[in-house]
Amino acid sequence: MSTNRWLATGNYFTSYQDEQRLFFTHLDRTILTMFLLLLFVWPLLFTLSNKYMLVIDNILIAVVAIIGLNIVTGFAGLISIGHAAFVGIGAYTVASFSRTLGDSHVIITHAWPLMIVLSGLTGAVFGAIVGLPAMRLKHLYLAIATLSFQMIFTWTINFLEFFNQGQTISISRVFWFTGKLGRKDHYLFWYYVLLVVVVLSGFMVRNLLRTRYGRCLSAVRDNDRAADAMGMHPGLTKVYAFGLAGFFAGVAGALHAYVYRGVGFESFTLHHSITYLAMAIVGGLGTLNGSFWGPAAIITLELQVETLAEHAGQILPSTWNLATALKPFSFGLVIVLFLMFEPRGIANWWRIVRSYTKLWPFRY
Amino acid sequence: MTTLSIDNVTLTFGGLNALSDVSMIIEPGLITSIIGPNGAGKTSILNCISGFYHPTAGEIRYGDRRLTHASPHQVTKLGIARAFQNLELFSGLSVLDNLMLARHTNLKYNFLQAMIYVGKASRLEAENRAYVEGVIDFMELEPYRNSTVGNLAYGIQKRVEVARALTLDPQLLLLDEPMAGMNIEEKEDVVRFIMDIIKERNTTIILVEHDLGVVMDISDYIHVLDFGEVIGSGTPEEVAANEKVIEAYIGED
Repeated sequence: MSTNRWLATGNYFTSYQDEQRLFFTHLDRTILTMFLLLLFVWPLLFTLSNKYMLVIDNILIAVVAIIGLNIVTGFAGLISIGHAAFVGIGAYTVASFSRTLGDSHVIITHAWPLMIVLSGLTGAVFGAIVGLPAMRLKHLYLAIATLSFQMIFTWTINFLEFFNQGQTISISRVFWFTGKLGRKDHYLFWYYVLLVVVVLSGFMVRNLLRTRYGRCLSAVRDNDRAADAMGMHPGLTKVYAFGLAGFFAGVAGALHAYVYRGVGFESFTLHHSITYLAMAIVGGLGTLNGSFWGPAAIITLELQVETLAEHAGQILPSTWNLATALKPFSFGLVIVLFLMFEPRGIANWWRIVRSYTKLWPFRY
Repeated sequence: MTTLSIDNVTLTFGGLNALSDVSMIIEPGLITSIIGPNGAGKTSILNCISGFYHPTAGEIRYGDRRLTHASPHQVTKLGIARAFQNLELFSGLSVLDNLMLARHTNLKYNFLQAMIYVGKASRLEAENRAYVEGVIDFMELEPYRNSTVGNLAYGIQKRVEVARALTLDPQLLLLDEPMAGMNIEEKEDVVRFIMDIIKERNTTIILVEHDLGVVMDISDYIHVLDFGEVIGSGTPEEVAANEKVIEAYIGED
């Protein structure tokens, strides 16, 4: 490309490979690199308390899970009400190692990257199995099938002695090159791990989406009869979508297990599945950047509501029990408002802002 | 060049015969039209060929391959493409993505290569993109390349439908009423495209169409269906002179 790509005001492609670029201008690339650098550097400049570090870790875990949910529900259009169960599958993969080998076995403390990948693969296998009904079922019927998986999952965990009947199974702190992680570094360490995982999965999915492996997802969403006529097996494509979603959920689950240093069934209930769905909707279904906005928005909201409820609890009589009521209320309200006024989610605001800055200061 | 032969195909939906004992030979390199009144079974024949329905009895062969129990994606891989009567496009995607989807089986890179997207994946994407661009050129869809298909005008969507079938690079193209609901100019355009497809790509075409004027003008061979049975076959002149065909279309004296 002959034009100066620092000053480029439009897209001037001269070859098809040029058009495949992720970043059309150098400015785009620089901004993202700077932003990522900032995410890696800020913990060196000032320290957050463990409470807020955990919130940030939580957001990043949810981002990984929502990337998966967006693949199956956003891109492939298959509503999954069992996503928390897939996350649970990942967490319980780590937990079952802890149960059989002891919670500070070398595999868990030293080979944790392997454990994370393994959990992802387990999630993928379960995802594909649960996705099998998608070969025949559609829409709401399929959603009920995923719901039933959620139920089976919680039930199984609750009744199996091997899984401690849903009570917490502990997982010890991991080792890094500098030795065993301390109490203080724990959340910071996992922040970095999570950041790497999020960036990798983000780029991975971004790449997949511009190849046949991503396009086939949108194809079965829009029209699976025609997808069949394009030479792909629509049923298997849907199973593949569930498998891929299960992979990300499994990875998120393993990370959840490590960050919380324990696994209990109460983190993977139907309530969490619905929350994941809400995050995906608020972020923007069928967009990759929505997977980042949604969790950030919902978890920040939860945090704000908690503080608000605390303050309100001091003024209002304690019998009103505002703290428990306010959270689901605000949560429901946000979803309804988004469905009514911005069904395309926060990702759409991002799109509007981007196209606006592209033209600024010109109005058209 | 491969011949498609349909031998004594019967298709039954719970006691109702959509097709009964239909036989026809589709010669390669020609435009063969299937016509008939509403409900005669024209689309059912296409559905049987492209694998969406499976005949209750009889056999469909393409060369030496049996299509009788093949699924649509298997049929597609044999080089048989279809443009649907009621638009079956991927309405949320751009024209470009719709056509790239038709290159699905040609993009032979694996999952890992797709994830990393350098080397083979990138090269194959660009190559197939060039192929798609050729079809866009051919079907004169350049202005709509990046528009979302669902927002395009009906006539353009129909054209995208044909373009998508062409992008599959078929040897046999099934066109199901490509001119339905079009005005005279749009029809002329479609006819021009069909003639070009035959001339430049040497594709065999099966055309299902209601506009008898068009069918009589461009077909090399015509099969007439009525109530699921073939009532006449032959060149346009022969069919026009066929007593049974006239009876089915105009009625008895």
